[in-house]
Amino acid sequence: MGGAGWLFLFAVLMAAGLLFTMVFFIIMFSDLECDYINPIDLCNKLNQFVLPEHTAHAFLAVLFLLSGQWIAFLLNAPLLAFNVNKIRSGNHMYDATEIFRTLPTHKKESFIKLGFYLLSFFYYLYRMIVALIADSE
Amino acid sequence: MASPAQQLPPGWTAEWDATHQRYLFIETHTGHTQWEPPAAGPELSPQPSVSPPPSHHAKRRQYAAGQTQAYYGVGDSLAAVPQYSAAAPQPQPTQLFTPGLAADGQFQQQQQQPPPYYGGHAEPEYINAPQQPVYPVQPPSQMGVLADQFGQMTMGHKGLRLFTTNLLTSPPEPLELRQPPPEIFLPPNSCLSQSPYANADASYQRCTLNAIPTTNSLLNKSKIPLGLVLTPYRSLKEGEEEVPVVTDTVIARCRRCRTYINPYVQFIDGGNRWRCCMCSLSNEVPQLFDWDQVRNQPGDRWARAELNHGVVEFVAPTEYMVRPPQPAVYIFLIDVSHSAIQSGMVATATRTILENLDRIPDENGRTKVSIIAFDTSLYFFTLPSGGAESSMLVVSDIDDVFLPKPTDLLVNLQEARPALETLLGRLSDMFQDNHTVGSALGPALQAGFQMMAPIGGKIMVLTASLPSIGVGALKNREDPKVLGTPKESGLLQAASPFYKTFAIECSRAQVSVDMFLFSPGYQDVATLACLPHYTAGQTFFYPAFNASRTEDAIKFAHEFGKVLAMPIMLEAVMRVRASKNLRMSSFHGNFFVRSTDLLAMPAVPQDLSYAIEVQIEDTITAPFVVFQTAVLHTTCYGERRIRVVTTALPTTSNLSEVFASADQVAIATLLANKAVERSITHRLEDSRDALFNKMVEVLTAYKASMTAAGAGASAQLAISENLKMLPVLVLGLLKNVGIRQSAQIPPDLRAYAQALLTSLPSQILIPYVYPNFYSLHNMPPECGTVGEHGIIMPPPLPLTSERLERHGLYVIEDGQTIFLWIGRDAVPQLVMDVFNLPSYEVLRGGKTTLPVLDNPFSQRVTAIIQKTREMRRGVYYPHLYIVKEDGEPPLRLWALSCLIQDRADVLPSYQQFISQLKDKVNGSGY
Repeated sequence: MGGAGWLFLFAVLMAAGLLFTMVFFIIMFSDLECDYINPIDLCNKLNQFVLPEHTAHAFLAVLFLLSGQWIAFLLNAPLLAFNVNKIRSGNHMYDATEIFRTLPTHKKESFIKLGFYLLSFFYYLYRMIVALIADSE
Repeated sequence: MASPAQQLPPGWTAEWDATHQRYLFIETHTGHTQWEPPAAGPELSPQPSVSPPPSHHAKRRQYAAGQTQAYYGVGDSLAAVPQYSAAAPQPQPTQLFTPGLAADGQFQQQQQQPPPYYGGHAEPEYINAPQQPVYPVQPPSQMGVLADQFGQMTMGHKGLRLFTTNLLTSPPEPLELRQPPPEIFLPPNSCLSQSPYANADASYQRCTLNAIPTTNSLLNKSKIPLGLVLTPYRSLKEGEEEVPVVTDTVIARCRRCRTYINPYVQFIDGGNRWRCCMCSLSNEVPQLFDWDQVRNQPGDRWARAELNHGVVEFVAPTEYMVRPPQPAVYIFLIDVSHSAIQSGMVATATRTILENLDRIPDENGRTKVSIIAFDTSLYFFTLPSGGAESSMLVVSDIDDVFLPKPTDLLVNLQEARPALETLLGRLSDMFQDNHTVGSALGPALQAGFQMMAPIGGKIMVLTASLPSIGVGALKNREDPKVLGTPKESGLLQAASPFYKTFAIECSRAQVSVDMFLFSPGYQDVATLACLPHYTAGQTFFYPAFNASRTEDAIKFAHEFGKVLAMPIMLEAVMRVRASKNLRMSSFHGNFFVRSTDLLAMPAVPQDLSYAIEVQIEDTITAPFVVFQTAVLHTTCYGERRIRVVTTALPTTSNLSEVFASADQVAIATLLANKAVERSITHRLEDSRDALFNKMVEVLTAYKASMTAAGAGASAQLAISENLKMLPVLVLGLLKNVGIRQSAQIPPDLRAYAQALLTSLPSQILIPYVYPNFYSLHNMPPECGTVGEHGIIMPPPLPLTSERLERHGLYVIEDGQTIFLWIGRDAVPQLVMDVFNLPSYEVLRGGKTTLPVLDNPFSQRVTAIIQKTREMRRGVYYPHLYIVKEDGEPPLRLWALSCLIQDRADVLPSYQQFISQLKDKVNGSGY
């Protein structure tokens, strides 16, 4: 198995991980809506995952860039820019005092990310298989 | 075309005939019709179906003429003040030309009305008699024709009638703001009790609409925001009804929706069960409901307070407690850095605390207090119980805050009273020579928090400098270049996350923070106000405080004393329940939203207002809906209680009723909250646009659905009579310091104004947005004397500088400041009488206290000022400024900026604002 094969295998695993993180976020948000959790606990819990999620995504994107997988990198670039911008303006963390007002936005964002990770999961899988076939030929 | 707004004989109605372009007169019982107006009968019908003409048209014309003056040159800039007064001395005009009116010829009838002097020597106005307003209910307006057409829609049943008025020709009438909200017409038999208190008073809870539309689309058609404005914990003035208390701990609640039993439930099944008014579930009536536990004999359930009163307090049994009721705890964090000592803040504060020790709520001797002083170190004071001496412990390690001693820091107020008194007497002297500059506010807050975290209570912070070291240190981010640009709203957001995270910790530990800010320079009020905002406290700001000016010291001591003496609610949670298909969608005010509809308030001060937006989720089928606010709290006397405020409102599927029931004061309060929130999350510009657009939307909706003009252009700008003041209130909001477009407002002042806009109850907020303006030199003779309802106030004038005469003496007050405006040609006798000075020239402008002189005029003026300070609820004690007509420009401009109907800088005058609105309304084809 060549470099591209390993890279996309890793990407598939990462995408699956990110996918689960988003599912977790969405479940937590709906818990908040149903009063199963209070906003302070919710924010404490979710804020632990915000930076790891962003880092994991950024790491993956940088890997694509370094290995010259341009299409894969370009796919990830918008989200990367979005995340970087959020961290720079300092509002990447969930704020317990504002959470109820911003909840719809957060949910929408999480759903879009979920969709994105799902698509990229299949894309990486496809690229992995393509790379494996190319190797075996 | 003569308006039929003349007295028709009984039994006649007038209808507009579109094809013939004239009125058709119909005799209703015979069906006879004729084109000629019928001869008027000898007496008026008691309820003529055509509205009688209003009685204040002279004022209209006079106003319009004045406006014309203001437009063309005279009012162009504030610098042109002399010309204002030049125009003023002319006699009260009675017949002035108004193009719109005269051209039409439509109002000939009305012009024959005797022209009353503006607000004139009519009946005296008693401000403190809201229950029986002397001012008559506004007569239906000049557009009675339209009103009639639409009035007929609602003729069938008793209810609100819609009266349309034209904003272009009817200037705002300040007295209208003092009228009670539109009446609530509940369907018959909806209420169990005949008590007039069955519905909560508007001062506790009011809705923007007093008839709730049955569907969301109907609400959207009207464009009026639906929301509740509440002040559940309101102070009571002398003579006001106490909130009745249910002491027997029998609390009947619905099993499903947890609604408390109230006057709007139904008893069924022979009185053994009751049907919930919100979810219609049938519940059992508790056995003890008909039992008088005090006398141990059968009782009368119909006499129970919760079935007769909209506002009621239950004494809560143990199920409502997580822990035994805690004592009230007060911790004072006093800044003793150089600037605080220099300004005299420390001395004034300690003296105020000392003087008010007896007033601190402590009925059963459980209240605890502690004092922490701080500059760049923390100073704790041990107050041994019984001893008279205190000792000071200094902690200079501010990175890891700890309490130097486990005991004797937080002490019982009664036991440690002697030590506390000596400490308070000495504190300011102890730090007299302190030259430390800087403030470790964050660590001091943490120390206070550690001390009271097991119990909870109130931290009162008194600080005169920007926090500079330790956690929560802030930088001076005031940048004059940013002011007036889109970036300005950044200055209104919290600079450091500490003040939000710490606020959440406080909220969890039931700790509330009050901020008293005194800085001579920039203090980042926006960030510091976050703490009170999320912990349900209050912020007080005394810019450039200097205790050597007695006025400053008096104001602060008065307000601080009132805050100390205020009975507070502790460990409170508030929830608002509403009938099916109504949902509380967003919340504004000082609290932390703990779950979707639960508001956590560690301590509730009196007279704080909260606004809640309401959504209609599905069609409401019930004939009336109920809003119930429940505040579970511990009183500062150690009793767990639930305060329940219930308001029932009818529903309607009729758009005209929706408009006729709108409460402009509540709408303005809600809009103020929304505007401030928007200015923080978006930009100030956006929030102003949102306000303006909301007003346009409402007017467009009204025009499209309620007037004959429909979607087309119209020469009039129609709105219902009960919303007549809304445009001027919106204009007042747009011109308020918190929202106004300007590059000169320091961010601290703006942030403080915003804090006020979101926390003041309507009673104080409305004058803050639309100040009161009285003329003193020619007030009716009874004003300022004690009448039936206390001191009689002069009639309020519209807020325009046309009213300022060169020889006059005026009061302009917005509840936070009082300006005493004196014209340059004031006669020496007036100056002598009021100020005890020989002439106008020697009089100095600025903050002042009026001398009490031995002449009737001085006594009346003093009485009016005194009354202005006392007539409202709340702790505020406004400063009195003397403003000379040719005095210092900043002060003069400040006073003139209260006259919101004038043009100021880029901000439009009322007339311009109205024509902007009209252009927008006509421009947007709807």
